[in-house]
Amino acid sequence: MTAGRIAVTGIASFLGSRVLRALVEKRGADALVAVDVARPDTALGVRHRAVDFTEPSSGEQLLEALREEKVATVIHAAALTNPSRDGSFAHELESIGTLNVLAAAAAAGVGHFVLRSFTAVYGAHGRNPAYLTEDRPLQPNLSLGWARDKLEGEQHAASFARRYPAMKIAVLRFATLFGPGVRTFYTSIFDHRMVPVLMGYDPLIQLLHPDDGLGAFLAAVELRAEGAFNVVPSRPIPLLAALHLAGKVPLPVPHPIAYPAADLLWAAGLADAPAGFIDFARYPFLGDGEKARRELGFTARHSSRQALEAYLRDRHPKASMTTAEARA
Amino acid sequence: MSASGFVAAVGRALDAGASAMTWEKVARARGAGYFQRHSEDVDDFGFDPRFDAAVQPFFELLYTLWWRVEAFGIENVPAEGGAIIVANHSGVLPWDGLMINLAVRHEHPARRQCRMLALDMFALLPFFAPFLARTGAVRANPENGERLLRRGELIGVFPEGVRGVGKPYRDRYKLARFGRGGFVRLALRTGAPIVPCAIIGAEEVHPKIGGMDWVGKPLGLPFFPITPTFPALGPLGLVPLPSKWSIEFAEPVAVDQHGPDGADDPILVSRLSEQVRGTVQQMLDRRLARRQSPWFG
Repeated sequence: MTAGRIAVTGIASFLGSRVLRALVEKRGADALVAVDVARPDTALGVRHRAVDFTEPSSGEQLLEALREEKVATVIHAAALTNPSRDGSFAHELESIGTLNVLAAAAAAGVGHFVLRSFTAVYGAHGRNPAYLTEDRPLQPNLSLGWARDKLEGEQHAASFARRYPAMKIAVLRFATLFGPGVRTFYTSIFDHRMVPVLMGYDPLIQLLHPDDGLGAFLAAVELRAEGAFNVVPSRPIPLLAALHLAGKVPLPVPHPIAYPAADLLWAAGLADAPAGFIDFARYPFLGDGEKARRELGFTARHSSRQALEAYLRDRHPKASMTTAEARA
Repeated sequence: MSASGFVAAVGRALDAGASAMTWEKVARARGAGYFQRHSEDVDDFGFDPRFDAAVQPFFELLYTLWWRVEAFGIENVPAEGGAIIVANHSGVLPWDGLMINLAVRHEHPARRQCRMLALDMFALLPFFAPFLARTGAVRANPENGERLLRRGELIGVFPEGVRGVGKPYRDRYKLARFGRGGFVRLALRTGAPIVPCAIIGAEEVHPKIGGMDWVGKPLGLPFFPITPTFPALGPLGLVPLPSKWSIEFAEPVAVDQHGPDGADDPILVSRLSEQVRGTVQQMLDRRLARRQSPWFG
């Protein structure tokens, strides 16, 4: 291997496994190494280094693995899409884990580092402009551990980008993944018939088809992109329109009641996400895809509506068409 | 099990009991009802043509019969490309923005839509926020304004902001400070012309004779007005009074000769801002001098 191998972390995650598979097809199994506690699919024939990023000694193990495998590119996709009830595990993985991977990569002389991040890191705020560009300060809701850990991961990446200019770092901020095969706390909302919504609010949301997410990842690796990029669908959709298209019955809840109620349900183990996530159904946090279009040549081929419809066709083949028929 | 799962479980129990009203039917009916009044696709800022078409007749009634709006100088609004309409703000509720939009839509030969930039006090308010977005308004901030202008859209701004819409009746038609000239910087950066616009009649629809601003605070409102009818008559007091309106557009002020760097020149920005403010004030004064009655013009 003259070019050096590509190491992929987070291979058990939806996007991580897709990226690994696509790169194996493109460059052959020998060009890749999976660095993860999880084993890659044996059929892929990819080399595997078992490292647990939440272990204090993972830095050493990683450095050794990256050196021995002659890694030139690291794709760090180990991030949690779903909120975790184990806050310290999530923190160790996303904040400290990212720091460890960055440090090992810099020490091993890795030339290119790609970090998987989220548009949610901008934070959902009433005062957000309609579209957020990459230079927007990251202001997530800091009481939400899920967002805070991701913010810290990005901050580590930014600080390494300043201190180790030899290692190019690309940060890909993906919109909410939605499509065939995606199973997250967010998609599970669309598996129920009745969905609580905030009374008097209807923000635009972005749902990203996984094929588009994969395409952006590959483009960033191919072009050795540097800097932050929003990876977003071609068009947003209003939250209520999405719910009605999916044949859901929205249940409007006044927001002063919604927050304490959601926290109670979360504490009681009845909810998938704590109250901090309500902001994402209240205020906009739309990424502007212009920079990715300009510098990565990446344009999403699916709109939010198409991503939603692809999910529904896959998950609920019969139910998805109900409202469309009713309208016809 | 999620929060919605909990609700769905209750639903399933109901479902088993009542066979006549199934969830499928409820969802179907709700969905069909929703899409009668809403489009399946909105534009990048949430403008919903079907929703807009559903609510416009009410505003058209206000425009023609209630306020008998007369538009002057509509030909001064460019037929294409980005441009900024800069108007005086008044009347407690943003009726003036809706009427500017209607004037441009119905009286301008190009039938352009004017995207009003809405103040935070309206754009962040529950129910108002989605309503404004669906009818084509956009929250007022420099990023949104620039994005719209670069797309070649016509936008409408009220630089007086809250100081204008919440001004007491005794200060009617006296323009407040024009912000910090944000609209001028917007024009300079994008090269879009500025069309000064004066609205007569909107000050009288909710004459603000006092305020109980402490009532508005917990609701997130910067002021809470007392008018002759509100809050004395309750929600009925929100019915706007039938004043006679006129909307006048002045000749566009071209700023492209200064180039985008002009936006960083505070002296130029404040000079242009004052010039536009002066034009609007002059139009107001001229029309007010000729007006015999707020109700009959």
